[in-house]
Amino acid sequence: MFEIGYGSDGNIMCSGRLDAAQCAKALSFMDEIAETRTLDFSGLEYISSAGLGILLKTQKRLAESGAALKITNVNNHIYDVFRYSGFNSIFDIKAKE
Amino acid sequence: MHREFARDFKSLTAIYEFAESILAANDIGKAVRFPVHLAMEELFTNMVKYNPDAEGEIGVDVVVDGGAVTVTLTEVDVDEFDVTQPRDVDTSASLAERTPGGLGLFLLQNIVDKLEYDYHDRRSRVIFTKGSG
Repeated sequence: MFEIGYGSDGNIMCSGRLDAAQCAKALSFMDEIAETRTLDFSGLEYISSAGLGILLKTQKRLAESGAALKITNVNNHIYDVFRYSGFNSIFDIKAKE
Repeated sequence: MHREFARDFKSLTAIYEFAESILAANDIGKAVRFPVHLAMEELFTNMVKYNPDAEGEIGVDVVVDGGAVTVTLTEVDVDEFDVTQPRDVDTSASLAERTPGGLGLFLLQNIVDKLEYDYHDRRSRVIFTKGSG
Protein backbone atom coordinates (compact mmCIF):
# COMPACT_ATOMS: atom_id res chain seq x y z
CA MET A 1 0.00 0.00 0.00
CA PHE A 2 1.27 3.46 -0.88
CA GLU A 3 -0.42 6.75 -0.04
CA ILE A 4 0.44 10.28 -1.15
CA GLY A 5 -1.30 13.57 -0.45
CA TYR A 6 -0.90 17.08 0.95
CA GLY A 7 -0.48 17.57 4.68
CA SER A 8 -1.84 20.53 6.63
CA ASP A 9 1.57 22.25 6.41
CA GLY A 10 1.63 22.03 2.60
CA ASN A 11 4.18 19.28 2.57
CA ILE A 12 3.52 16.18 0.51
CA MET A 13 3.03 13.22 2.82
CA CYS A 14 4.13 9.82 1.54
CA SER A 15 3.50 6.58 3.39
CA GLY A 16 3.75 2.85 2.84
CA ARG A 17 5.80 1.18 0.17
CA LEU A 18 6.72 2.90 -3.09
CA ASP A 19 7.42 -0.08 -5.34
CA ALA A 20 7.05 -0.60 -9.08
CA ALA A 21 3.37 -1.46 -8.72
CA GLN A 22 2.67 1.96 -7.12
CA CYS A 23 4.54 4.15 -9.58
CA ALA A 24 1.53 5.12 -11.68
CA LYS A 25 -0.18 6.47 -8.57
CA ALA A 26 2.93 8.36 -7.48
CA LEU A 27 3.61 9.79 -10.94
CA SER A 28 0.02 10.91 -11.38
CA PHE A 29 0.35 13.01 -8.22
CA MET A 30 3.87 14.24 -8.95
CA ASP A 31 2.93 15.42 -12.42
CA GLU A 32 0.63 18.03 -10.84
CA ILE A 33 3.43 19.62 -8.80
CA ALA A 34 4.57 22.90 -10.33
CA GLU A 35 6.57 24.60 -7.57
CA THR A 36 9.15 23.78 -4.92
CA ARG A 37 7.69 21.28 -2.47
CA THR A 38 8.88 19.14 0.43
CA LEU A 39 8.15 15.43 0.43
CA ASP A 40 7.68 14.16 3.98
CA PHE A 41 8.83 10.53 4.10
CA SER A 42 8.10 10.01 7.80
CA GLY A 43 5.57 7.32 6.89
CA LEU A 44 7.41 5.88 3.93
CA GLU A 45 8.89 2.48 4.76
CA TYR A 46 10.38 1.45 1.44
CA ILE A 47 11.39 2.67 -2.00
CA SER A 48 12.85 0.81 -4.98
CA SER A 49 14.58 1.98 -8.15
CA ALA A 50 11.15 2.42 -9.74
CA GLY A 51 10.30 5.01 -7.09
CA LEU A 52 13.66 6.70 -7.55
CA GLY A 53 12.82 7.05 -11.22
CA ILE A 54 9.63 8.96 -10.37
CA LEU A 55 11.54 11.30 -8.06
CA LEU A 56 14.24 11.91 -10.67
CA LYS A 57 11.75 12.55 -13.47
CA THR A 58 9.90 15.08 -11.31
CA GLN A 59 13.09 16.78 -10.14
CA LYS A 60 14.29 17.21 -13.73
CA ARG A 61 10.94 18.68 -14.81
CA LEU A 62 10.82 21.11 -11.88
CA ALA A 63 14.44 22.18 -12.43
CA GLU A 64 13.46 23.60 -15.82
CA SER A 65 11.43 26.27 -13.99
CA GLY A 66 13.88 26.75 -11.13
CA ALA A 67 11.86 24.70 -8.66
CA ALA A 68 12.86 21.56 -6.78
CA LEU A 69 11.70 18.70 -4.60
CA LYS A 70 13.08 18.51 -1.08
CA ILE A 71 12.80 15.34 0.97
CA THR A 72 12.59 15.14 4.74
CA ASN A 73 12.18 12.53 7.49
CA VAL A 74 13.92 9.81 5.48
CA ASN A 75 14.49 6.53 7.34
CA ASN A 76 18.01 5.14 7.39
CA HIS A 77 17.26 2.30 4.95
CA ILE A 78 15.83 4.64 2.33
CA TYR A 79 18.66 7.08 3.00
CA ASP A 80 21.12 4.29 2.14
CA VAL A 81 19.32 3.76 -1.18
CA PHE A 82 19.63 7.49 -1.91
CA ARG A 83 23.30 7.39 -1.00
CA TYR A 84 24.10 4.34 -3.15
CA SER A 85 22.31 6.03 -6.06
CA GLY A 86 24.02 9.37 -5.59
CA PHE A 87 20.63 11.01 -5.08
CA ASN A 88 21.94 12.79 -2.00
CA SER A 89 23.81 15.11 -4.36
CA ILE A 90 20.81 16.01 -6.54
CA PHE A 91 18.14 16.28 -3.82
CA ASP A 92 18.06 18.23 -0.56
CA ILE A 93 17.54 15.26 1.78
CA LYS A 94 17.11 15.30 5.54
CA ALA A 95 17.20 12.05 7.50
CA LYS A 96 14.61 11.17 10.13
CA GLU A 97 15.73 12.28 13.59
CA MET B 1 9.66 -22.06 1.31
CA HIS B 2 8.71 -21.90 -2.35
CA ARG B 3 5.98 -20.09 -4.23
CA GLU B 4 5.25 -19.16 -7.82
CA PHE B 5 4.14 -15.67 -8.86
CA ALA B 6 2.49 -14.33 -12.00
CA ARG B 7 4.73 -12.23 -14.24
CA ASP B 8 3.08 -8.96 -13.32
CA PHE B 9 4.10 -5.98 -11.19
CA LYS B 10 0.87 -6.57 -9.31
CA SER B 11 2.55 -9.65 -7.81
CA LEU B 12 4.92 -7.44 -5.82
CA THR B 13 2.63 -7.13 -2.81
CA ALA B 14 2.16 -10.90 -2.62
CA ILE B 15 5.92 -11.43 -2.96
CA TYR B 16 6.56 -8.94 -0.17
CA GLU B 17 4.01 -10.62 2.10
CA PHE B 18 5.40 -14.08 1.32
CA ALA B 19 8.98 -13.09 2.16
CA GLU B 20 8.04 -10.90 5.11
CA SER B 21 6.17 -13.73 6.81
CA ILE B 22 9.26 -15.94 6.60
CA LEU B 23 11.70 -13.22 7.68
CA ALA B 24 9.55 -12.11 10.61
CA ALA B 25 9.05 -15.69 11.78
CA ASN B 26 12.82 -16.09 11.86
CA ASP B 27 13.45 -12.79 13.70
CA ILE B 28 15.39 -11.28 10.82
CA GLY B 29 16.00 -7.59 11.58
CA LYS B 30 15.11 -4.67 9.34
CA ALA B 31 18.75 -4.11 8.40
CA VAL B 32 18.52 -7.37 6.44
CA ARG B 33 14.80 -7.38 5.59
CA PHE B 34 14.89 -4.06 3.73
CA PRO B 35 17.67 -5.03 1.30
CA VAL B 36 16.16 -8.51 0.84
CA HIS B 37 12.83 -7.00 -0.23
CA LEU B 38 14.60 -4.47 -2.44
CA ALA B 39 16.74 -7.11 -4.14
CA MET B 40 13.70 -9.33 -4.70
CA GLU B 41 11.77 -6.49 -6.32
CA GLU B 42 14.63 -5.39 -8.55
CA LEU B 43 15.16 -8.97 -9.79
CA PHE B 44 11.47 -9.74 -10.24
CA THR B 45 10.69 -6.53 -12.12
CA ASN B 46 13.79 -7.07 -14.26
CA MET B 47 12.53 -10.53 -15.22
CA VAL B 48 9.07 -9.17 -16.04
CA LYS B 49 10.41 -6.26 -18.10
CA TYR B 50 13.08 -8.05 -20.10
CA ASN B 51 11.31 -11.32 -20.83
CA PRO B 52 7.87 -10.03 -21.80
CA ASP B 53 7.10 -13.02 -24.02
CA ALA B 54 7.79 -15.64 -21.34
CA GLU B 55 4.62 -17.36 -20.19
CA GLY B 56 5.58 -19.30 -17.07
CA GLU B 57 5.36 -17.94 -13.58
CA ILE B 58 8.44 -16.88 -11.63
CA GLY B 59 9.47 -19.15 -8.78
CA VAL B 60 10.69 -17.64 -5.53
CA ASP B 61 12.46 -19.60 -2.79
CA VAL B 62 13.36 -18.04 0.55
CA VAL B 63 15.65 -19.87 2.96
CA VAL B 64 16.84 -18.58 6.34
CA ASP B 65 19.95 -20.08 7.89
CA GLY B 66 20.92 -18.39 11.13
CA GLY B 67 21.01 -14.68 10.27
CA ALA B 68 21.54 -15.24 6.57
CA VAL B 69 18.72 -15.06 4.04
CA THR B 70 19.12 -16.76 0.67
CA VAL B 71 16.60 -16.05 -2.07
CA THR B 72 16.37 -17.82 -5.43
CA LEU B 73 14.30 -16.55 -8.35
CA THR B 74 13.76 -18.98 -11.21
CA GLU B 75 12.14 -18.57 -14.62
CA VAL B 76 12.01 -20.96 -17.55
CA ASP B 77 11.99 -20.60 -21.32
CA VAL B 78 13.77 -17.24 -21.26
CA ASP B 79 16.83 -15.69 -22.88
CA GLU B 80 20.08 -15.35 -20.95
CA PHE B 81 20.51 -12.19 -18.89
CA ASP B 82 23.40 -12.25 -16.44
CA VAL B 83 22.50 -9.91 -13.60
CA THR B 84 25.94 -10.30 -12.05
CA GLN B 85 27.62 -8.37 -14.88
CA PRO B 86 28.79 -4.96 -13.63
CA ARG B 87 26.41 -2.09 -14.34
CA ASP B 88 27.92 1.19 -15.43
CA VAL B 89 26.15 3.89 -13.43
CA ASP B 90 27.68 7.29 -12.77
CA THR B 91 26.34 8.12 -9.32
CA SER B 92 28.16 11.44 -9.35
CA ALA B 93 26.35 12.66 -12.48
CA SER B 94 24.51 15.96 -12.24
CA LEU B 95 20.74 16.21 -12.39
CA ALA B 96 20.92 17.38 -16.00
CA GLU B 97 23.07 14.40 -16.98
CA ARG B 98 20.84 11.78 -15.37
CA THR B 99 18.05 9.86 -17.00
CA PRO B 100 15.47 7.74 -15.15
CA GLY B 101 16.14 3.99 -15.20
CA GLY B 102 19.12 1.70 -15.01
CA LEU B 103 19.59 1.84 -11.25
CA GLY B 104 17.86 -1.41 -10.30
CA LEU B 105 20.62 -3.94 -10.92
CA PHE B 106 23.25 -1.45 -9.78
CA LEU B 107 21.47 -1.19 -6.43
CA LEU B 108 21.04 -4.95 -6.29
CA GLN B 109 24.76 -5.52 -6.72
CA ASN B 110 25.53 -3.04 -3.95
CA ILE B 111 23.11 -4.26 -1.30
CA VAL B 112 23.47 -8.05 -1.35
CA ASP B 113 26.41 -9.99 0.10
CA LYS B 114 26.49 -12.69 -2.57
CA LEU B 115 24.97 -12.82 -6.06
CA GLU B 116 25.04 -15.76 -8.46
CA TYR B 117 23.52 -16.42 -11.87
CA ASP B 118 22.96 -19.78 -13.52
CA TYR B 119 21.58 -20.34 -17.04
CA HIS B 120 21.11 -23.57 -18.90
CA ASP B 121 18.39 -25.20 -21.00
CA ARG B 122 16.71 -21.77 -21.19
CA ARG B 123 16.25 -21.80 -17.44
CA SER B 124 17.45 -18.70 -15.60
CA ARG B 125 18.19 -18.79 -11.91
CA VAL B 126 19.39 -15.93 -9.71
CA ILE B 127 20.52 -16.60 -6.16
CA PHE B 128 21.39 -13.90 -3.65
CA THR B 129 22.32 -13.94 0.01
CA LYS B 130 22.07 -11.17 2.57
CA GLY B 131 23.21 -11.29 6.17
CA SER B 132 25.65 -13.45 8.03
CA GLY B 133 24.99 -17.03 8.95
